[in-house]
Amino acid sequence: MKGGTNPVSTTTTRAIVAPGAAPSLASPISARPRGRRQDHPLWFLLPALAVLVVFFFVPTLFNFIYAFTDWSSFKSGISFVGFDNFVALFANGTLLNSLRVTLVYAVLVAIFQNVFGLALALLLEKDTPLNRAARVAFFVPVIMSALAVGYIFQALLKPEGALNDILGFITGTDISIAWLGDTTWTIVVVALVHAWKWMGLSMLIYLAGLKTINPDVLEASRLDGAGWWQTLVYIRIPLLAPAITFNVATALLGSMNGFDIVQATTEGGPGGTTELLNIFIFRTFGQGLFAQATTMSLVLFLMVMILAFPVIRFLRKREDVL
Amino acid sequence: MKKTLIGFAAVAAAAALVLSGCSDPTAGGGDSAPADWPAQDTKLDGVSLTIWAAQNSNTVPESVVAGFEELTGASIDVVTIPDPYEQGIQTKVATGDKPDLAFWQPTASQLTALNATTNLQPLDDAPWLDATAADLRDITGILDDTRYAALITTPAVEGVYYNKKVLADAGVTDLPTDWDSFVQLGRDLKAAGVTPFYEMAGDRWATQWWVQVQLADAAADGLWDRVNANEEKFTDPTILGTIETYKGLIDEGLFNEDIKTATFEDQGDALLAGDAAMVVQVNSFFNQLQSKASAEELDETIGFFPISPSGNVGTFIPDQSNALVAFKTGDAAKEAAARQLLSYWLGDGYADFVETRETVSLQDDVATPDTVPSALLAVSDSLGSSVGSMQALAIANPDLYIFLADMIQGTKTPEEVAQATQDQFAQLAKAQGAEGF
Repeated sequence: MKGGTNPVSTTTTRAIVAPGAAPSLASPISARPRGRRQDHPLWFLLPALAVLVVFFFVPTLFNFIYAFTDWSSFKSGISFVGFDNFVALFANGTLLNSLRVTLVYAVLVAIFQNVFGLALALLLEKDTPLNRAARVAFFVPVIMSALAVGYIFQALLKPEGALNDILGFITGTDISIAWLGDTTWTIVVVALVHAWKWMGLSMLIYLAGLKTINPDVLEASRLDGAGWWQTLVYIRIPLLAPAITFNVATALLGSMNGFDIVQATTEGGPGGTTELLNIFIFRTFGQGLFAQATTMSLVLFLMVMILAFPVIRFLRKREDVL
Repeated sequence: MKKTLIGFAAVAAAAALVLSGCSDPTAGGGDSAPADWPAQDTKLDGVSLTIWAAQNSNTVPESVVAGFEELTGASIDVVTIPDPYEQGIQTKVATGDKPDLAFWQPTASQLTALNATTNLQPLDDAPWLDATAADLRDITGILDDTRYAALITTPAVEGVYYNKKVLADAGVTDLPTDWDSFVQLGRDLKAAGVTPFYEMAGDRWATQWWVQVQLADAAADGLWDRVNANEEKFTDPTILGTIETYKGLIDEGLFNEDIKTATFEDQGDALLAGDAAMVVQVNSFFNQLQSKASAEELDETIGFFPISPSGNVGTFIPDQSNALVAFKTGDAAKEAAARQLLSYWLGDGYADFVETRETVSLQDDVATPDTVPSALLAVSDSLGSSVGSMQALAIANPDLYIFLADMIQGTKTPEEVAQATQDQFAQLAKAQGAEGF
């Protein structure tokens, strides 16, 4: 954008073309004549475009429009009320509290999910039969229903649940910790559950990233006398940058939209300390205040956008080393 | 440039399309002619009706459905809508999906939430009304002088369920006769080493009963009318005072130690086992006990008395399993069939219904089966003199229970509970277009 360069086109080129090979490959592509679209008439796009408009474009637009109305379950008419909903929402502290909780949750999930994912990927990097089986096992939670995961953990983490039983068996004392009943630490616990569910996906992407690292580079570092840890910190993690970009961005932005796991484990409690914005939206919608709920989802949408651009930009910047 | 123009035109056209479509799909139900009530045995071959029910009410209509299908030839489909039931129904109705009948909380606030005037059939002059016990006929189901809900079972009452053995062991012979003696009993029991009260803040929803029973006198004195008109607020001394009292009793240690995490299930177990002496709850709590103990055991151990600041007045709170509403679907034949089903349910089919459900009868001519447990009889006895709860009398139903649970967890003060409840109430009242908000 600034300085006249187009970051989108340069970065996509880099993502598609392997590092180092770019100059030799770039020229044939740009040399191709521009009349290429002649062989595919534009109206071929229509069916796909229709689906896109009906299922993505229109609902998003509705989301913007309804936020400025008084749509509710209480009456049939819908009229515009300007910024009333926004003013009322921001005057009420609940929305800001939910935004704060959502942000904390998203950051925690992003950290846990990536740390676990990377650790698993490093642990299961070698293609042995045992590792292959373990990878499948760690990927299973990813394809499980999030609500089911939530309810299972809710049962495990109850004061009289299995986790306390196990701890009690090990320590030989009676333990009844309310894992989901602490107003300070429960958000960490639910973020851990969320990260547990999705860490298999991060693992898979880190594994793919590790596989693409050129063995010559690793061999060179070994010849230079670098230990395992040095290789990891100075060679492998920098070279994993594209995988990190994808994993951090999807974990952070995906968990901003979190709902199912928290709803199943705590329903936003105790004392509203895990009330994500989506749970607040669900509760408001359930009260029949459809317009207010729409306004909140618009606020969430804007917040994800505001967060997404700088985060992704920062992470892409790290890829410049490649 | 031309392409930009075309793109702009496309966006503008799409926006116009969206804006013109910006109306409530449920609009246009219109007024129907004054309802006629078909005879209960009118033939309905080929007519199919849909009833929406919740997970805890989907077996309620069984005997009625079987009897009605045999009598009329209609086919009835009971569809279970998953919990949270009310939210599910509201969302479906808002998008234009309606059944013929649905279980629904017959209170003014919940009828408003369903936009009753547009979506529901008025049930004025229903044939069963004369047969209904006089003091229960108009207790609920009415919004703006129009009847929209048919009450099929006795509404729930907020009151005190107690363990008879625990009180007997502590030497208590006379039950409390007002709030002060009730709290005193709690203190005496605590001094005797018994946990007097049990609350379930882990599951949250029952926290509001403690506040509501304290408001019974004020409710009889028109509290909720004043709240509805925005002349009195949750933050004013009457309601805020009850929240502070509740907090005070918890701080005094009169409740179970695990109050923050205890669940509905724990509460039932604790009262049955005698780990706690008393619980302020509604009928669904007793249903929970019935799933855990035999009828004889319950008659022996569990009793009920209503409580209010000045005496033994109950606070009634009809719930979704107590009543049905009939929707305006636009199909006159089905609408008439739905009314016919209701008149059969509360007519020829009622005796059988009461018998199979082992529930208290609402009609003087239909006897209550003697299998009904004594605690439930005490509940229904208190109904005639009871006053309405917030849900029954206020125009909106704010999440008071969530805020009270927050208070028990320590994240809200009583003042913040009152303020949050008032804010939400005002928001809901404003959305309804209530005057004064």
